[in-house]
Amino acid sequence: MDQSQKTEGGMESLFAAWTKSVTDFWGNMAKMQPDVPSSSGTSEESRKTDPLHKARKGWETSNKVMQSLFSSLTEPENMAAMMKGMDSMPEFVVKMTEQSWDGYLELQKQWADHATRIGKHTEAYRFDDIDQNIFRTWKEIYEKEFQKFLHAPQLGLTRFHQERVNRLMDKYSIFRSALNEFIYMFYIPIEKSVGVMQEKIDQMADQGDMPANFKDYYNMWIRTLEGHYMTLLKSPEYTQVMDQTIDALVQYRKAKEEVLYDFLQDLPIPTNQDMDELYKDFYLLKKQVRELSKKVNREKSEK
Amino acid sequence: MSQPQIAVDLILKKLTETTEKAKTRAQKASEILFSPLETELSPTPYQVVYEEDRVKLKYYKPSEVKHKYPLLVVYALINRETMLDLQPGRSVVQTFLDHGVEVYMVDWGYPTRKDQFLTIDDHVNGYMDNIVDFIRDRCGLPKVNLMGICMGGAFSVMYSSLHPEKIKNLVTTVTPTNFDTDKGLLHIWMKNTDAYSMGNSYGNMPGDLMNLGFLLLNPARLILDKYVGFFENMDNKGFVENFVRMEKWIFDSPDVPAATFRQFITDCYKKNLLIQSKLELDGKRVDLKNITMPLLNFYGQYDHLVPPEACELLTQEVGSKDTEDICLKTGHIGIYVSSKCQKEFAPKIVKWLKEREGDGEDGTSEEAAAEAGAEHEPTGQLETSAEVAAEAGAEHEPTGQLETSAEAAKEDKSKKKAKSASPKKKSKKRTASPKGK
Repeated sequence: MDQSQKTEGGMESLFAAWTKSVTDFWGNMAKMQPDVPSSSGTSEESRKTDPLHKARKGWETSNKVMQSLFSSLTEPENMAAMMKGMDSMPEFVVKMTEQSWDGYLELQKQWADHATRIGKHTEAYRFDDIDQNIFRTWKEIYEKEFQKFLHAPQLGLTRFHQERVNRLMDKYSIFRSALNEFIYMFYIPIEKSVGVMQEKIDQMADQGDMPANFKDYYNMWIRTLEGHYMTLLKSPEYTQVMDQTIDALVQYRKAKEEVLYDFLQDLPIPTNQDMDELYKDFYLLKKQVRELSKKVNREKSEK
Repeated sequence: MSQPQIAVDLILKKLTETTEKAKTRAQKASEILFSPLETELSPTPYQVVYEEDRVKLKYYKPSEVKHKYPLLVVYALINRETMLDLQPGRSVVQTFLDHGVEVYMVDWGYPTRKDQFLTIDDHVNGYMDNIVDFIRDRCGLPKVNLMGICMGGAFSVMYSSLHPEKIKNLVTTVTPTNFDTDKGLLHIWMKNTDAYSMGNSYGNMPGDLMNLGFLLLNPARLILDKYVGFFENMDNKGFVENFVRMEKWIFDSPDVPAATFRQFITDCYKKNLLIQSKLELDGKRVDLKNITMPLLNFYGQYDHLVPPEACELLTQEVGSKDTEDICLKTGHIGIYVSSKCQKEFAPKIVKWLKEREGDGEDGTSEEAAAEAGAEHEPTGQLETSAEVAAEAGAEHEPTGQLETSAEAAKEDKSKKKAKSASPKKKSKKRTASPKGK
């Protein structure tokens, strides 16, 4: 046995020991998960919608896949394939680690999100149950607690200017709130498609029908995501939020321009308002001249 | 807990292969991206023969004129007419020239704030009428052939109704005339949009804002998958050049004059007045029964911007006896740029126009009149290209269950096969009618 064979053999046994300990670890982890009571009732239906139940289900799926992955790695032929691909491993491992951390952080974020809306959930391909309470709550708080200060009557010489500034602040707040809700809506299909993919992968793993090519997973995901977007974009909920956002944007732009005009008044700069009035006169005059010249030409040709 | 079965050896093998390929691709791609690329649009030479305000008229002269009547092409106010002359080998204009057709094409230019008061009437009875008169004078002919694209097609329909004496033949392509449909997202969204305040707020409707709206029609494909496709093929110079050309065209979006935008949304999308012959331009009613010249109506089966339902009613509503609908198996842009449609679309128009060059009382030649009675046979089925497949994917309706791409593509194909695209003569019975009527 030469030195390289020795090294390879050593690595293989080291790797086998490591994969075994990892498999054991995931197995023990699965056994250790606490039996937390459901937060939203004991019936089967409420269990399904319970975020803790959903989180546990997701955990079980990931655990199953992980266990299987690591136990499969100890197979001699897989080990050989693994060793064969060692050339590109450093780069690959860095990427994988990066992605794993991203995934882990995302998972943490999702758990935190779920915890803040206990009892609420979203179903695949349905957008009539979107959790928009957070936006409505914020809007209500704003309207009850803050907006009144901006709507309070202003006094004195500068009252009109102050009112315009207050209106701008008010419209900006409303626009930001509408925009946040709009952006959130675009995030929902991503969340839903991840959920569907998780279930699909679980099914495929059970059937031993996992595609080997990453592109197949991507195609599956993009198609699921597209389906979710198509459902969302056709929904009345989306149209309503889009219209609210457009309306809020228009109101904000108007308020901003009014404040700008105030500032520009003292400067030798024409405002859009000034120019629009001129453009309109110019447009009407030009139209009239064209009509008259056509009429003259017609009369000339008739003579 | 049952043990899932995963083919780890295959996954690892594929991952290793993919990593290797990605390395090689990245090296080759950097060479391509930093080398000179041929991405110029509108390569066919032309002359600007008429100008009025921002509007220009481009004239493309064939080496040998074989058609009596020139063809005036009116593009939409959204995006630019350069799409018809995208690149050598994918140029509708070049195909017309190769067949000896003189082409005049309207370049609407880039509206500025001073153009915000221009209405549809100013475009149709103003600019278009002046251009038609200019061509008639220049060629010494009483009529011209008119071809409209999308919104430009709607303008052409309006023009042909108001000035039928000046139009020899009318060709409409992906032209929305019936807006009472929920098939396309634009039709759903526009019914609720407050166009009036948007127009007032911006002066003109910003092209970038409209482009954002178009991207949001299918974010998964247009914002994400499209660029994944680019990264996968960026080691292919031809692909990169075509991709960059399309990017240049897509994001070259002039603003739309506010008054025109408002009127189009209100009178067309919301009230659906055009197909009901109730639209008025400057007090003059656009009666579709005035369209008595031959009409050729093209639309795309997978068009998600202007779905077939928005296009196909026109031929029933006009006064002409010589009409033809052609539904191609492609999307909104595919009609003009897909390599498959290049062989079908422009040559068909040339042939159709040639058959109607005669000066008979109804404007049809003997040959065309004879053919009008017979059921038209398709000249060749268009095959589903990758582009079409992608567009078909965009039309896919989720059923609540996840389907693999292969399954879904198969289903798309079978659904669409049932609605097989074939040219139809007016004599064919139709059941659809606008709800507003």
